[in-house]
Amino acid sequence: MTGSYAELFFLVFFGLAAVWFGIVVFRTHSMVRSAMALLFSQTAVGAMFLVMQTEFLGVLQLMMMATEMSIMALFMVMFMMDPGGMGAMDMSHQKRLSLRAGGIGLVAALAVSWLPDWGPAASNIPDAGRQVELLGIELLGRSMFIFESAGLTILTSMIAATMVAIAPRKKEGAA
Amino acid sequence: MSIFYILLTLAIGAYFIAVVESWAVHGRFSLSRPAFSALALFGRESILARTPDRLFFESAPVLLLVAGLLTMAVIPLAPGLIITDLATGALFLNAALAYVLVALIMAGWGPNGGYAMIGGWRFLGQFIAYAMLIVMPITAVAMRAESLSTTLIVLSQAELWNVFYQPLGFVLFWIAAMGLAWLPPLDLPNAPGELAGGFEAEYTGARLAVLRLARMVIILALAGAIVTFYLGGWLGPWLPDWLWSVIKMLIVTTLMLTTGRLVPRVRESYFLAAGWKLGIPLALANIFLVGVIALVVDI
Repeated sequence: MTGSYAELFFLVFFGLAAVWFGIVVFRTHSMVRSAMALLFSQTAVGAMFLVMQTEFLGVLQLMMMATEMSIMALFMVMFMMDPGGMGAMDMSHQKRLSLRAGGIGLVAALAVSWLPDWGPAASNIPDAGRQVELLGIELLGRSMFIFESAGLTILTSMIAATMVAIAPRKKEGAA
Repeated sequence: MSIFYILLTLAIGAYFIAVVESWAVHGRFSLSRPAFSALALFGRESILARTPDRLFFESAPVLLLVAGLLTMAVIPLAPGLIITDLATGALFLNAALAYVLVALIMAGWGPNGGYAMIGGWRFLGQFIAYAMLIVMPITAVAMRAESLSTTLIVLSQAELWNVFYQPLGFVLFWIAAMGLAWLPPLDLPNAPGELAGGFEAEYTGARLAVLRLARMVIILALAGAIVTFYLGGWLGPWLPDWLWSVIKMLIVTTLMLTTGRLVPRVRESYFLAAGWKLGIPLALANIFLVGVIALVVDI
């Protein structure tokens, strides 16, 4: 353990905040509140990255999630029947399936975190500027193909999703 | 100590912006007007809309203020006069400004009112138009500085300011910054005279005062970003460093605020079309050009 107690305290604090906001996502009836709770859960994860001295990843997480979750909130309002949660509609479905899927996911996550041998914690952490540099070299070197194909996949799915979301227009004069 | 100086600059700067904005809107130049307006706002009753989303309604103005202050934290006024000189400063600036969007959506959704909600979602539309034009010009700036640190970005402009090195990026970033601060002609989320104040419509009294103050801080922080990225930050002859930063920031804010007097409000769909069909190709061209120049010329 190389970090100080303050580091540990903040790590636990933001970790608990992330989990709590994750729970709020399911507690609230309001779709917008749900989206914002998910955002603040992810923001807390970003803060955890910052505590763990991975500055670039932390800041990137803070930036990306703010926009992504806002856009998700907009889609919720557009497509859900009771976005404000004031009609007290129950919008949950497939409860048994989701319970099982959630249980399996939890077991898998715990197994991944416990079973592998993670090895010793990194002892000499490069400073933040060097981290950015190393990340850039990695992205434009060994990992270039993976990231480029991921980018292309995301772009394709974005275009496809937009195509699906646009309602077909009726022709003039059709009944 | 630098936190104190920066907060002092912010307070004075925000007051100055309020003076210039009231001059731009009402055509009267009065140094005391913002003080009286603030007093009036704090004196007034703070009305709560019926069945609001209370959590969003109360926290949105504070979140907006926090976003502005965090943006200001990575803007250097002089060597060493910066709250936190992050190695990822330019990216952090983006991250902090992204929460302006979150705050405005919350402010729009919170009060449970039609005008407010339209204002909030309009800002999301506007965001989709300007977001890439904030990020991509900054990429080109960081390419020249070979760093994301705002201090190093200023130092990289010692030979030639970025406004001359990459004028295309400067223009795009300026327009995007005006969209981000919902300044006229891009003031669609509150759209005075059309949307009854938009997301501000249901805010009164002290809450409105915080909301307005937060916006002043955001305008100032964006002027700081323009000065840092394109106008050489604190660099300049004769005068002390911090004074150069302050002078440049005030000139930029004045220009940003007075533009609205001369240009009619842009429709959302036009702004979106221009942002994506014209802005993004130009921003990509800017990145390409800066890359070529950086490889060929050594300045």
